[in-house]
Amino acid sequence: MRQFPFGSTQAPLSHPGWQIGPGLIIAGSLLALTIAGLAALLWQAHLPEVAELWQNRYLGNVIRFTIWQATLSTALSLVLGLLIALALARQPRFRGRSLLLRMMELSLVLPTIVAVSGLVGVYGRHGWLTSVVEHWTTVRWNLYGLNGIVLAHVFFNAPLAGRILLQALESVPAPRRRVASQLGLTGWWLWRTLDWPAVRRVLPGIAALVFTLCFTSFAIVMTLGGGPASTTLEVAIYQSLRFEFDFGRAALLAIVQLAICGAIWLFMVRRGLSANLSPQRSFSETIRRPDGQGITRLRDAALLVCIALFLLLPLAAILLQGLPGLVTVAVDGGTSLADLAEATLRSFAIALPAGAFSVLSALLVLALAGRGGPHLARLSSVATAVPLMVPPIVLGTGLFLLLRRSLGHSSQGLALVALINGLMALPFVTQLLKGPLAGLDQATAQQADQLGVLGWYRWRWLHWPRLKRPLALAMAYGTGLSLGDFGVIALFGTPGQPTVPVLLYQQLGSYRMELAAGTALWLLTLLLLVFATFNLPGYRKRKQSRHQNDALNTLAEARHA
Amino acid sequence: MLRHSLTLFAGIALPLLASGQGNNTLTVYTHPSFAAEWGPGPGVKEAFEHQCDCTLEYVVLDSGGDILQRLRLEGNSTDADVVLGLDTGTMETARQTGLLAPHSIALESLDLPIDWQDSLFVPYDWGYFAFVYDTEQLPNPPKSLEELVNAPEELQIIIQDPRTSTPGLGLLLWMKAVYGEQAGEKWQALSDNILTTTKSWSDGYFSLFMNGEAPMILSYSTSPAYHMAVDKTDRYQAAEFDEGHYLQVEVAALVEPSEQKALARDFLQFMLTADFQRHIPLKNVMYPAIDLGDELPEVFDRLIQPDNTLFIDPATVAEKRKSWLDEWLNAMIP
Repeated sequence: MRQFPFGSTQAPLSHPGWQIGPGLIIAGSLLALTIAGLAALLWQAHLPEVAELWQNRYLGNVIRFTIWQATLSTALSLVLGLLIALALARQPRFRGRSLLLRMMELSLVLPTIVAVSGLVGVYGRHGWLTSVVEHWTTVRWNLYGLNGIVLAHVFFNAPLAGRILLQALESVPAPRRRVASQLGLTGWWLWRTLDWPAVRRVLPGIAALVFTLCFTSFAIVMTLGGGPASTTLEVAIYQSLRFEFDFGRAALLAIVQLAICGAIWLFMVRRGLSANLSPQRSFSETIRRPDGQGITRLRDAALLVCIALFLLLPLAAILLQGLPGLVTVAVDGGTSLADLAEATLRSFAIALPAGAFSVLSALLVLALAGRGGPHLARLSSVATAVPLMVPPIVLGTGLFLLLRRSLGHSSQGLALVALINGLMALPFVTQLLKGPLAGLDQATAQQADQLGVLGWYRWRWLHWPRLKRPLALAMAYGTGLSLGDFGVIALFGTPGQPTVPVLLYQQLGSYRMELAAGTALWLLTLLLLVFATFNLPGYRKRKQSRHQNDALNTLAEARHA
Repeated sequence: MLRHSLTLFAGIALPLLASGQGNNTLTVYTHPSFAAEWGPGPGVKEAFEHQCDCTLEYVVLDSGGDILQRLRLEGNSTDADVVLGLDTGTMETARQTGLLAPHSIALESLDLPIDWQDSLFVPYDWGYFAFVYDTEQLPNPPKSLEELVNAPEELQIIIQDPRTSTPGLGLLLWMKAVYGEQAGEKWQALSDNILTTTKSWSDGYFSLFMNGEAPMILSYSTSPAYHMAVDKTDRYQAAEFDEGHYLQVEVAALVEPSEQKALARDFLQFMLTADFQRHIPLKNVMYPAIDLGDELPEVFDRLIQPDNTLFIDPATVAEKRKSWLDEWLNAMIP
């Protein structure tokens, strides 16, 4: 049995300042930067006509359409995500389960242009599925319009929701599962007593996150929307700033967007918070659910196969589109291959630090939620998401106005890209870690306090064992998001030193369509590799967790002694 | 879907890019399709540095609009000596900033379809907007804009949004140049042929057109040159329209606050020589701004040669753009 170093008088990093300070700095600076960026824009512009918001028919339509498509996309993504998560939780031995999980993780981090290309290859006018359906049935399907927007948003977000929800379901403590199993709870009762409490903790956060992502969606809405009737607020902001140089109007619209998304977050976070207080004792030992048998099993299998096809077909389309180009590059070698290899290394040099930074920041911000009381908790939750709500070009322009004179010239561009990518991944990583981190129950926490298991030791012995897997997954998301990033690197990098997505866009811009399709496939492969690698700890989970949990059990036993 | 929603803090590090402000460094603000490895940028840099005893430094911004935006934001403290990559759609707004200086170079060597006498802007390439079609899907493309507007609904096309894309704005002006007051009605008639309106040219060309979603896409009359010369396929061709085609001219200009004006003028002068222009046809896939003679790739002879060049004075465009966009929106939103 391992011993805690009880002898030391002061555990490292146990001072309250360490638990609140860094998180407060990160959350505070994100908020401050956003406000400063918007303020700088307004300060430069003449004051906008606020009345325009309700007088202008076009703007009114845009706001209504944006809210409508985001609400619809969010609702469908959550329902589908929940169905996937429950089916996966009920069927831990489903064949191809881990492959399906990797696909689910992948869809979110794919660059838009690649994912849309895959979706079009399957559901487009001449897509495989459309052809099959229209050949055998009288159904006429048109991708372009609200259909396509919602389909693409569900493709991106339902797997994200499903992934986080599954993690929440899996974190239900084994003793509770065991009791439920002994009592023979199934159906509604099982949902009511075990699954719903677990899901309720993370659902509001996911809903707010997905809503924000759909609300601020831009290129997808335009490509699949069919025409200007499908315009989101983000398009109107881009237009004001980029083409009309109307800073005032851009800032005004950005504030509307921030207000709508921010209100959703605040509302959701309030709702979600109370659930955190429920006592939870978590041992990550798996107990077989009693409800995964018989007819349910068949139903789950059917659902999972459908989901797998929904996710896999577009990826297969990307594979088919990209294979010729990638094979040509691999066979011919030469500069194309060298370019791709260099771009890959460069991408990882940015993405791995970015992933690590996002995970670290998320932990620090979440520490606020644990220790800093409800107000700080709410602040931390919203602050991490604020960067998603303000259009990047607004924030960028504002900050540029603000900081330009104080910045010198240097070549630290790539380090900065990693830093910004890390911050961008923060809302996702936070959602992934929130559940597991809050899983420490009151009794254990109190006991740990009494025994002086604080600071670093508390982290090492109480949190680490149960956080290992979520952390690895969070790291994979952070790395993957950075790996697929095009926006930041396009602005900060240099074209002579492209990352893989930049290379892809350069090839597109120069008509190298086949090469670009090959690069897209390569990017997909890299992302798959990242998620597969970071999920490896999961395979050794069962053996190790027993061992790691000795420490916890010691605490638990001591209580009864 | 995150790529655009997440470009956080875009402004912070941009100034970091313009490194190495030595005495003999010429800083050129440009966009990615010029500066990328496959674009003309690297070849131009090598050729110019070979003759100037200086360093040519590109600062790459997302698009022509961003170059202008950056210039406006930086004002008199800008690092730019030359801006390269504005076009006839953005040059009037650029002129109004008052941040550009007269180029005072001779423009006799220019070989454009229109007469060009501008004291601020030097053209470096040009092209016509055109619909590129897939000959396998559409053996008989429309022969005029009118025929396209009245085409049956089965003919679907992909266009770009005039609010976010240069060719998109080009089509808006094209329709305006041909139909004038009737443009709104004609847009309404065209709307059932429009499969979708994408944010940028790349979105439409890669994700949709190359997937065979529609047989026709708004692009440039020079696009087939690339497919013929490099892809070695004649499958994609531009449809020639009887009414004529709208012209786009890409320009560069000297920046007023620059401390390297002499060097910058050398560069603009160099821009109108074969050493610069020979990189244009296949790397920017546009027509060179001067007569390249035998150096013009053979495939350029096989492109459409519109009889009629349509062009609206940039000052008029700048003034009317907003009302024309509103007209388009009203026609397209039922």
